[in-house]
Amino acid sequence: MTNRFLGFGLGLRAPHFEQIIAEKPAVDWFEIISENYFVAGGKPWHYLNKIRSDYPIVMHGVSMSIGSTDAINKDYLNQLKNTIARVEPQWVSDHLCFTQVGGINSHDLLPMPYTNEALEHLANKISQVQDYLGREMIFENVSSYLTYNASQMSEWEFLAQLHKQTGCKFLMDVNNVYVSARNHDFNAMDYLSAIPSTAIAQIHLAGHQDFGTHIIDTHDEDVPDAVWDLYAQYAKTLGPVSTMIERDDNIGSLDDLITELEHAKTLVKPFWDIRA
Amino acid sequence: MSDLAKLQQQFMDLLQGESSDISDQIAQQGQLNTQQRLSIYQNAYKIRLRAVVEQDHEQLGIYLGDDLFEMMVDGYLALYPSTHTSLRIFADKLPDYLATNTPFNDYPILADIAKFERLLLSAFDASDKTLLNVSELESIEPQQWPNLLLKLHPSVQLVAFNTLAVESWQAIKEKQTPPEPIASEPRFWVIARDIDRRTQYLSVDEQEHRLLNLLKQNTPFAQLCQSCLNELPGEQIAGFLITKINQWLERGWLINE
Repeated sequence: MTNRFLGFGLGLRAPHFEQIIAEKPAVDWFEIISENYFVAGGKPWHYLNKIRSDYPIVMHGVSMSIGSTDAINKDYLNQLKNTIARVEPQWVSDHLCFTQVGGINSHDLLPMPYTNEALEHLANKISQVQDYLGREMIFENVSSYLTYNASQMSEWEFLAQLHKQTGCKFLMDVNNVYVSARNHDFNAMDYLSAIPSTAIAQIHLAGHQDFGTHIIDTHDEDVPDAVWDLYAQYAKTLGPVSTMIERDDNIGSLDDLITELEHAKTLVKPFWDIRA
Repeated sequence: MSDLAKLQQQFMDLLQGESSDISDQIAQQGQLNTQQRLSIYQNAYKIRLRAVVEQDHEQLGIYLGDDLFEMMVDGYLALYPSTHTSLRIFADKLPDYLATNTPFNDYPILADIAKFERLLLSAFDASDKTLLNVSELESIEPQQWPNLLLKLHPSVQLVAFNTLAVESWQAIKEKQTPPEPIASEPRFWVIARDIDRRTQYLSVDEQEHRLLNLLKQNTPFAQLCQSCLNELPGEQIAGFLITKINQWLERGWLINE
């Protein structure tokens, strides 16, 4: 799969549906939460069908639980496959984490231990899921608040190894790297530089809440300066990568999000060959 | 059990409030101790699922008040942890929980309000179908009518309550004082999307409710007529049903299938 540069996108959220349809704002593409469309019909699909006729769509899941030692959930994958067939997205992503254990779903993105066992497990699971779906998946790094004694390598070494073993590509959430770097006291650029730039298919930018002693990844705030700085620094090391603002809560106006998106463009323009 | 499986089970046990050795697996680092780090996940787990119940059952939450709502969420989460990948499904068993667990089962209206709110959700995201229109209905040959199977739109939900659940729900939504909970006689409701995809609810009488239920069970037109024999003179039944069918068409409740 090539790293198609779609430009600068936004997470598609219900409060903005009607404005997007009416005004067709200058956003290059939208990302949907896959599971929000695991329903048969009604307004969610009505709006999505209209919006996807004007914009490229990518799908982003939160419940694949690729890292779980539970068997792959074929009901989930069938729903995902059906949704992919209806949406015809540019690509499909989920998170490198586990959410489900023993059939119980935490609905949280729980961090993996960075062990050889977990690496082998993920490589097998990714292969199984991609075979079942008949397409490649992209996986996002999660933010975390703890690390395990069992870990045998850093998170960035783990991701680099996973890419080497499987060829899988990543959705790099720059905010998540920043959050984890603060929570675990590492250098965020050490993390970002360790992953081959050719492995990066998409970038997320988001906000968080800073409690001084730690940061919680809330996706309910504007992108803070520290994350913008990290993004700009990271962009110097990359070719153009499809970038989006991800806002999951306290969703503000579409206009404010577009202003943030314009800022992202301004930051990377010196480094990326992009048309305004 | 592999080391990875063991660690994941320990993590889930922690979130479920069960005995867990996960803290032995957590590295000591930085300004937070292990318990503080684990608490972030424990809190997030409950906050996220509580928010789902709150969003799906906004008027029920107001009816209960903060303390009882918290008690309900805690009790529900303990008995019905999420087993589905979609949060849309998480609170599906809330009406059952309220109907069978103290102190909530002493107040049947609570389960009814929860049921009503779940049916609103079911109507909201039911599948889309092509609606039946008048000309298609008129083109049906007279000899086909006895065996005609009219199909309800998937969004059409039918429910009967012995409480004033819907009236109370509406009062809370309008920031009014809800009525006394128990109804003097059963209340029959249809919840469905209208032709503009807005979710609506409508009070109907017992006869119309029964007819719609018969449609849900794929009952042919002739049997719909027969079911009215105790209520209407024979010669009025067909005309009565045609009137009803036209109302259902206008409301977008019948589909072309």
